[in-house]
Amino acid sequence: MATKLKEVDVVIVGLGWTGGILAKELSAAGLKVVALERGSMRTTESDFAVPNIRDELRYVVRHDLMQNTARDTLTVRNNIAQEALPMRRLGSFLPGETVGGSGVHWSGHTWRWTDMDLKIRSFYEERYGKNHIPADMTIQDWGISYAELEPYYDKFEYVAAVSGKAGNLRGQLQAGGNPFEAARARDYPLPPLTPVLANEMFKGAAQNLGYHPFPRPSANASRAYTNPDGSSFGACQYCGHCQRFGCEANAKGSPHMTVIPIAMRNPNFELRTNMWVTKIVKDGSGKRVTGVNYTNVLTGEEFEQPATMVMLTAYALNNVHLMLLSGIGQPYDPVSQTGVIGKNYCYQTGAAATLFFEGHHFNPFMNAGGSSSTMDDFNVNVDFDRGKAGFVGGYIVGAGFNTALPIGYRPVPSGTPAWGSAWKAATAKWYDTAMQISMSGGVMANRNNYFDLDPTYRNAFGQPLMRMTFDYQANEHRIGQHAAQIINTIAKSMNPTRLNPAVARTQPWTVVPYQSTHNTGGSIMGTHPKESAVNKYLQSWDCHNLFVVGANVFPHNAAYNPTGPVGALAYWTADAIKNRYLKNPGPLVQA
Amino acid sequence: MSSGKGFRAAGIAISLAIALVPASAAHAQGDLKRGEKLFEDCRACHQVERGPSSGVGPTLHGVFGRGAATLDDFRYSPALKRSGIVWNAQTLDAYIADPQKAVPANRMPYGGMPEARDRADLIRYLQQTFKP
Repeated sequence: MATKLKEVDVVIVGLGWTGGILAKELSAAGLKVVALERGSMRTTESDFAVPNIRDELRYVVRHDLMQNTARDTLTVRNNIAQEALPMRRLGSFLPGETVGGSGVHWSGHTWRWTDMDLKIRSFYEERYGKNHIPADMTIQDWGISYAELEPYYDKFEYVAAVSGKAGNLRGQLQAGGNPFEAARARDYPLPPLTPVLANEMFKGAAQNLGYHPFPRPSANASRAYTNPDGSSFGACQYCGHCQRFGCEANAKGSPHMTVIPIAMRNPNFELRTNMWVTKIVKDGSGKRVTGVNYTNVLTGEEFEQPATMVMLTAYALNNVHLMLLSGIGQPYDPVSQTGVIGKNYCYQTGAAATLFFEGHHFNPFMNAGGSSSTMDDFNVNVDFDRGKAGFVGGYIVGAGFNTALPIGYRPVPSGTPAWGSAWKAATAKWYDTAMQISMSGGVMANRNNYFDLDPTYRNAFGQPLMRMTFDYQANEHRIGQHAAQIINTIAKSMNPTRLNPAVARTQPWTVVPYQSTHNTGGSIMGTHPKESAVNKYLQSWDCHNLFVVGANVFPHNAAYNPTGPVGALAYWTADAIKNRYLKNPGPLVQA
Repeated sequence: MSSGKGFRAAGIAISLAIALVPASAAHAQGDLKRGEKLFEDCRACHQVERGPSSGVGPTLHGVFGRGAATLDDFRYSPALKRSGIVWNAQTLDAYIADPQKAVPANRMPYGGMPEARDRADLIRYLQQTFKP
């Protein structure tokens, strides 16, 4: 029997970037806040110090900071005709499971999504006509504008120590930055990272072809920095162990060394680790939530934590899973296209060319998470003609290195034997002399890509696993084909000794290999409860004291990495709660 | 800090001026301010306040006159333990300039502070901070 605990003002489910931001902001506002995190405590000094952190086997191969699939996972399939099977080992995406969440093991790429994405349906209908959007593509406007989010993007960039170069300051284009970005009120808090050779070579080639490369904005501090909250950052050491690792130098903007320790110094805040939330509890009316049920995964003890407000801030996939398990909102049905919970699951597509240059030395072991020269000519560039290209959305192209590790990073020219002495000779020859040009492309919402509860498989708590039904659609195939052609043109212009050309992803999606931990949607934001799970303040339409914060609210997925808007939306939600909800608890938007 | 090109150029101009005029009290204050700002390079890992080491690196409180790798509350690299260094303005200067050159295979994740004037200001700040 669950032990019923004393009621608190706020319970936070999952303590990564969004939970950490809300923990700090709401405890500072005087609320009693309890955070429940399924993973354990990790700090830079005890867990990420050199030399132990530089362990590719532990962190990359064995996923030390990631979700334990023996306890809970998803079942996956490509379409409703298939039987979904459990993903027993992580592969395509890697949800974090630790204090700090995926904000510990990310690379730091921080983008501002613009109105081209936030008002996507309006933009495409106006510019290309209604017929440009396929009938089964369920994209919709987000119900929020770039102008509303701009101060919150800014806040997140300054907290997370983003290094970059403004391309558009208050409408004035700036040399060296991204000319296609939306206007920003001020520059990044830190100058760009020092470029590596692959960045410079790509930049030269892209510029020769008339493109507009710029240093990718990343939460890797290019020099020592103290953020507005007083959190100290060391300078990035280009250690080559960024993605999948905690930062040894406190140079990567991460919640465990910024917002979370600030919350922990506040007596209003309490963190309970190794606590697995199994359900959000509703009251009899179904219009309010009353708290959460959780299990201590070390002892098996069960608790009920009553709370005036619940913040659902776990990884995007797990936020949706908890809503489905708790019966909040109507589950989505792809056949009748009714219901909202589970709707518009999106992912990202990609393609890469590998260029081999005899005589060049790229030192791939030495880089920052954000060592990328990137171009936006086929993404937020409004003049890129999607009518001619035949798709909705776009892609970013970049080159550089991110965590080119000794076990996993073994570039060899195609045609090289996969094992034996010929492979050994090739890997020794090309490890230091190869670079990649890669793209990340958006995935548009489709009526057939969604989540629901699996009818067969259950997790360690006896609850149904969440079922993911997903495949790349024709739109993504066309993005991939367009991008591969552009990548290969740039690559050939650089005249490499050997080239493994980029090939578009057109095969069905599978859980291997790793592709991207940018899973979005499932409990999306919008302007109407018939079409969305939460309103523009990320407040549940069904239960006004439940806020659901994460990439699960994105109605579609763009080419950009998601953490910029995830962080901005967390601050936006915190402000809405502090300034409006607390004064007058109830729906912040009338349905 | 020290990597800014403009900063470095200004630094050279000021050093020339210093060579001609003996350092005044006001100037020493200026150096301390710069030193405090330069300590930003270290602050993410090192504390200067009294008390046990609470950060990623060992506390710098009382570092002058202390042997390298001698605090009980920090796990040092074998390289630093073997170094036999006693910390003073000269040994700190060499170490901060290029940690891997001064003590190869030490584990401090810091690339070094190349400008002599920056290091002098930083060390002056540390000396001042630990005065009773």
